[in-house]
Amino acid sequence: MKHCRTFEHTADMGLEAHADTIEELFEALGEGLAEVICPRRQVAARQMRVLEVAAEDLEALAVDFLSAVLNVIEGQRFALAAVRVIHADSGAIRAEVSGEPLDPSRHRIEREVKAVTYHQLQVVHEGGQWLGRVILDI
Amino acid sequence: MAEKFQGKLEPIDANRWRIPRQSRPDMRVDGIIYANEALIEEAISGGGAVQVANVATLPGIVTASLAMPDIHWGYGFCIGGVAATDVEEGGVVSPGGVGYDINCGVRLVRSDIPAQEIRPRMKELIEMFFRELPMGVGVGGPFRFARQEMRRILAEGSRYVVSKGLGTLEDLAMTESHGCLEGADPDAVSPEAYKRGADQCGTLGSGNHFAEVQYVEAVYDAPAAEAMGLKEGNVAFMIHCGSRGLGHQVCDDYIRAMRSAPAKYGITLPDRQLVCAPAESPEGRQYLAAMRAAANFAWANRQLLVHELRGLLERFFGRPAESLGLRQVYDVAHNIAKIETHVVAGRRRRLCVHRKGATRAFPPGHEELPAAYRSIGQPVLIPGDMGRASYVLTGTVGAMEQTFGSTCHGAGRVLSREAAIAKARGRKIEAELAAAGVVARARGRTGLAEEQPEAYKNVEDVVRCVVDAGLSRKVARLRPMGVIKG
Repeated sequence: MKHCRTFEHTADMGLEAHADTIEELFEALGEGLAEVICPRRQVAARQMRVLEVAAEDLEALAVDFLSAVLNVIEGQRFALAAVRVIHADSGAIRAEVSGEPLDPSRHRIEREVKAVTYHQLQVVHEGGQWLGRVILDI
Repeated sequence: MAEKFQGKLEPIDANRWRIPRQSRPDMRVDGIIYANEALIEEAISGGGAVQVANVATLPGIVTASLAMPDIHWGYGFCIGGVAATDVEEGGVVSPGGVGYDINCGVRLVRSDIPAQEIRPRMKELIEMFFRELPMGVGVGGPFRFARQEMRRILAEGSRYVVSKGLGTLEDLAMTESHGCLEGADPDAVSPEAYKRGADQCGTLGSGNHFAEVQYVEAVYDAPAAEAMGLKEGNVAFMIHCGSRGLGHQVCDDYIRAMRSAPAKYGITLPDRQLVCAPAESPEGRQYLAAMRAAANFAWANRQLLVHELRGLLERFFGRPAESLGLRQVYDVAHNIAKIETHVVAGRRRRLCVHRKGATRAFPPGHEELPAAYRSIGQPVLIPGDMGRASYVLTGTVGAMEQTFGSTCHGAGRVLSREAAIAKARGRKIEAELAAAGVVARARGRTGLAEEQPEAYKNVEDVVRCVVDAGLSRKVARLRPMGVIKG
């Protein structure tokens, strides 16, 4: 089970995800970020990219992983259909993201995201569930 | 969501409030917020005041942690924040003190076109801007620069694109720092940042960035307005944008690179988003070199946009740009850190001045000003909101004495994007603006709702505060006629 929603924050927007496993949590956050930029229903999973990220703690890992996802979309102009996390622990993550090269005639960009921030950042395991909250600079 | 300020806040005078240094054990200097009665409540409840106090804890900060009257919540530093640190005494530089959109700024072009001549064709003109002025959202812009050319843009800023025929020498003279910060290092910019910026130079972007057609509604300082070529009833063009994905990535990269710096240099921070390192440390120097490169990219970006704008206007009117009197008034950065010399307690000191949502406002006679403005002071460009007004101000001796030569940068946001969308439900913002004489087009479905006038403070209150506090002088008020939002 995984779920991600957006929430309001001052001038910007946050992502809040709940999941049974840490892998699913990162998947939900990654797909949530992709959804904010370019709705995933428009995107076909034709190609795949591998992301490998390491960081000093879980929260920093969340920021670094989502920044890597943002880089795939913005830097490589690659629209995302899905995020699959192969492995995640408190210091590293390996994921496959699938999608296709961004095509403005088919993919509507809803908004640009400047960055994934550290403000009120949260990645916790509570009551058998994982919770992740990040705020995006729009 | 925003943290309401619960600490001590005392009035200094009608336009300034102090958070005393003694009110928190970790504050090194006072916090000073420029606000009048109309603005102070938002500073307290909106989370900005807490951040002013947080910034006052940074090593090497001198005089005070300052906030301009357009203060609102930001990442780490508030928007509207000004903080100067003494680089020779371990003063820090913080990427959060510049923000993600490095050298976001404003450029203003004046014209000889009377407003009444353009008004009947405003819809047509805005449609043309909307169609042809590159936004670069989801698609690349019309300019493609090879890696070697990108390196030159990062090192030389506007100067490089002007040398390619995409602008005039006067454009350079009328740009803060001549559109180029020395000490930029293209090698300090990551490959990811290059990728994000590769086809975005010469694009407007999204969010609150815009291109606006305005007319000079009122002139308050005739000699200054004359020096800037601003004549009542004539049209001007304002562009607001920054360093696009390249700058966002540079900020992100260096916040990451500096995560371990506070522990290394024994700095305790109240907010992770304030990460910093001494400006003279390897980490600090590296960030400054990359930040300058991103700032140069932003100046080249606005230069290309103005070049495009001139071309569009030539086509629209069927006349050359010169005959339309299209000349650049000025270009200001409002998210930047600069090494400047200021007098503090009677002594000249080399400071790292962070301006985040704040504009440089140097006084008459300052050596960095172009000859045309030497006697009037630096032009300061203050975009308001798309329904009400924008202002042109000048810098003052008061700003030099009080705020390291800084003033406000805009109206300042009061509504979150979602709150603004909710407030727009059931309304037609486009029609409301049209009724107020403004033709507006936005790319995104919610763009106009998010950027509606009510999402911002009243720029009149902000400008009144900086003028009354002696940080700026009023030159002219510009009224919007047409706007495109990215």
